[in-house]
Amino acid sequence: MIRSKFAQLSLKNKFFFSILIVILLISGTIALLARWILISGLTQELEMRGTAIAHSVATRGTEYILENDTDHLLSVLFDEKQLYERRNLVAYIYVEGKNGKVMSHTFTTPFPKRLKGINPVTHKVEKSVEIVPFGGHEAYDIAVPIKEGIYQIGTVHVGLSKAHIDNLVGKLRAMFLGFISAVIIITFWVSHRLAKYIADPVMTLTKISDDLSRGNFSSSDLINTEEQIACPAFHDTDLPCWHFDEQRMGSGKTEARPHRCKKCAFYNEPSDGDEVQQLTTSFRNMVWSIRLYRRRLQESENTYRSLFRSGPDPIFVVDVQTRKLVDANPRTEELYGYTRDELVGMPYSVLGEEHAKECFEYFGNDELCAEAMKSARIVHLRKDGIPMYVNLTACLISYRTRPAIIVATTDVTDIVEKDAQLIQASKMKSLGEMSTGVAHELNQPLNAIRMGSDFLSMVHEQGIEIPPEQYVQVVTEISTQVDRASDIINTLRSFGRKADLLLEDVNLNEPVGSVVSLLSRQFLIEDVHIVTELDSELPYITAQHNKLQQVLLNLVINARDAIVERNEDGRDVRGRILIRTEYDDDGVSVSVEDNGTGIPDHVAEKVFEPFFTTKATGQGMGLGLAISYGIVREYGGELSILSTVGEGTCFTVRFPRQEVARVAN
Amino acid sequence: MKILVIDDEQPTLTMFQLLLSTLGHEVLLANSGERGLEVFAEHRPPLVLTDIKMPGMDGIEVLSRLKEDEPNVEVVVITGHGDMDVAIQALHLDATDFINKPLRLEVLEKALERVEERIKLNTEKFITLATRFTSDTMVVSVRGTLGTADEAEIKHAFKGAGRAQRIVLDFTENTSINGAAIALLTDSIRSFYNDGGKVVISGLSENFRNVFEIMGVTRFATFVDNIQDVQL
Repeated sequence: MIRSKFAQLSLKNKFFFSILIVILLISGTIALLARWILISGLTQELEMRGTAIAHSVATRGTEYILENDTDHLLSVLFDEKQLYERRNLVAYIYVEGKNGKVMSHTFTTPFPKRLKGINPVTHKVEKSVEIVPFGGHEAYDIAVPIKEGIYQIGTVHVGLSKAHIDNLVGKLRAMFLGFISAVIIITFWVSHRLAKYIADPVMTLTKISDDLSRGNFSSSDLINTEEQIACPAFHDTDLPCWHFDEQRMGSGKTEARPHRCKKCAFYNEPSDGDEVQQLTTSFRNMVWSIRLYRRRLQESENTYRSLFRSGPDPIFVVDVQTRKLVDANPRTEELYGYTRDELVGMPYSVLGEEHAKECFEYFGNDELCAEAMKSARIVHLRKDGIPMYVNLTACLISYRTRPAIIVATTDVTDIVEKDAQLIQASKMKSLGEMSTGVAHELNQPLNAIRMGSDFLSMVHEQGIEIPPEQYVQVVTEISTQVDRASDIINTLRSFGRKADLLLEDVNLNEPVGSVVSLLSRQFLIEDVHIVTELDSELPYITAQHNKLQQVLLNLVINARDAIVERNEDGRDVRGRILIRTEYDDDGVSVSVEDNGTGIPDHVAEKVFEPFFTTKATGQGMGLGLAISYGIVREYGGELSILSTVGEGTCFTVRFPRQEVARVAN
Repeated sequence: MKILVIDDEQPTLTMFQLLLSTLGHEVLLANSGERGLEVFAEHRPPLVLTDIKMPGMDGIEVLSRLKEDEPNVEVVVITGHGDMDVAIQALHLDATDFINKPLRLEVLEKALERVEERIKLNTEKFITLATRFTSDTMVVSVRGTLGTADEAEIKHAFKGAGRAQRIVLDFTENTSINGAAIALLTDSIRSFYNDGGKVVISGLSENFRNVFEIMGVTRFATFVDNIQDVQL
């Protein structure tokens, strides 16, 4: 109880009370000892003096007692009593005779009856001391026997004034108590000062520590503003203080030695002064150091915070364990249409289920976590369910001590759409280039139909008789030719259609078929023969029919151009384009092989670059192969080229097999 | 009349066969240029109809080979609709006429008529250009095939216009104009027009009117169907 109460006391009071108690105990002990030694000593001394007087009286008075000469005896008594200061000490002296009768006394009054027979003494004892009352006073009565030889002839009583002794003792006691009090008061004052000296800095440090804990660095008494301004590191947190800060020593070996002040405004040498001062100095240095690091941390924090907040692209923080969003920047709200409140706590999979799964699998595996995860053209859903394309980078961090992923996305919907538009534009351009051929192609059936119908109307108008089989022949031919014309138109339409953005299962033979049907007759006029070797059991791939047509169209037209170029150079060989589809365990491929001019190696390296063209100005933009390459890459495929100058070129497009679709096939 | 038709399109050949035989002609068919030359060499028909765009040997080559072999053969080329460059190229090679695809029966019939007339005229001697004057107008009648050989005559005729305010070029229906002659006529008409004269062209078949249009003659001359429409 007392101990716990003591523990609650302040340091100052602990010092004070401890010292006080100890001093009091010591003082008390000293007082008791002093009293015992001094008072008993004094009393003994006085008794001895009294005894001495008594012996003196006994010696001097023996003769008078024997002679019964009371007058001389009395004068002896008075001599003894009145000698110097004894008169204060000795209250009375009287002598008793052998029969106990008072022979002489120093009382100026009649002998007090109460003293009669008191404090008797026999010759066997040296002396007897007793406190006796007399005449309203008290006295130490010292009785000493008066001897003559072996006989006791009387007794001398010397009364020492108890009041006088008490007075002496009192004086002594007062002096002693005064001294003890003075000691206590001085000790009290010293202990108080000492406690204050120790406790005050400790309290100040406590107060500062409390302030620091609350994040208040400016209230610190230890750092004054003038010094703050004088320190070059105060406003430049990037400048390490080399007097104290060894943080950068390891990494900064190659760095030029930065600023070093002659005398540091903050860091004092810790050896100055006593322990309390050393503590204060160390503490001051520590506060300054913490302050610097805190500022550095704050700046860093602010930098990243503002990066996070002002980033032009959406950034999410996703908790790996709960798989929910824990933070998102304002751009996210803008792009995704959710408010921040809705976003925080929302499962990440709401944005894009498939990718979220992939992402957590990736980051769930500890070994791979160091690497950021990059994904291109992923479909994310806005709040209203509208899909958009994003490129995404995810990396693992620790967010409030929990593993989390920072997911940064870039909206590439526009780019994807622009790509689609570019592809579409390039396709329309190809169609434009083919328009003459297509017009001719379309003219053929129209011509036959026209002639057939003209023939029928002529027969009808002129009433000419024709055999029924001729009639049937014409009508059948017209019908066939109408079908042919609509086929051409359908193929053209399928080419012209803008591809939607969703992937489908495609059998490569289909786009090959439509390209061949559109071009083979036209090419024949230019003496270019298209030959196909199609594998009828081709597995499906994941792509877009329409865009694959575009790729094949580009390749076939390029092949045709190579053959025409070769023929312009004078080598009149029959033009042949071989389109072959094949598959193996890993993938499906389509190759377009021509026997045209061939491409030299230095050109072959560049053919997939945009705007690279070997054709004359105005003949082509050089986008065809670049676009084809882009399309093929988009489906995870490869476009490769194999060419020999003078013999021909073979372009091969290879796609990975679509696993699920193989079953469907 | 014996007619050779060269076309790579089997349906077209079939239709020609039906049409021409119904019209009372003897039809020879060939599905390629090479085959056409062989058939021509064998049967030597007075008229050849040939498609221009064909795999292998194309119509232009067939035309020049035929003209090399037999300059008097009448060759009518079949061109894609509006393919005037090819038509003019064929006319340069002395093609008699050209017909656009899709082919219209009436156009075919007219072309055949013209060819027949020309064949008939070809056997007789006739004057290609004849000029006569009425007050301020010079009328130039054109017969038969106007070819490179007539260059001097055309120039002479235009020079002879003298003070005439107006030239009327009167083409008979069976007239055919060679490419070089077209260019010369165009030049002459333009310079006459620029000198302040007026040019009227009458009786030209639609095909040739199209060719003149392409050459830009319509800006300098007015076209009428018949010489009777011109106020002399």
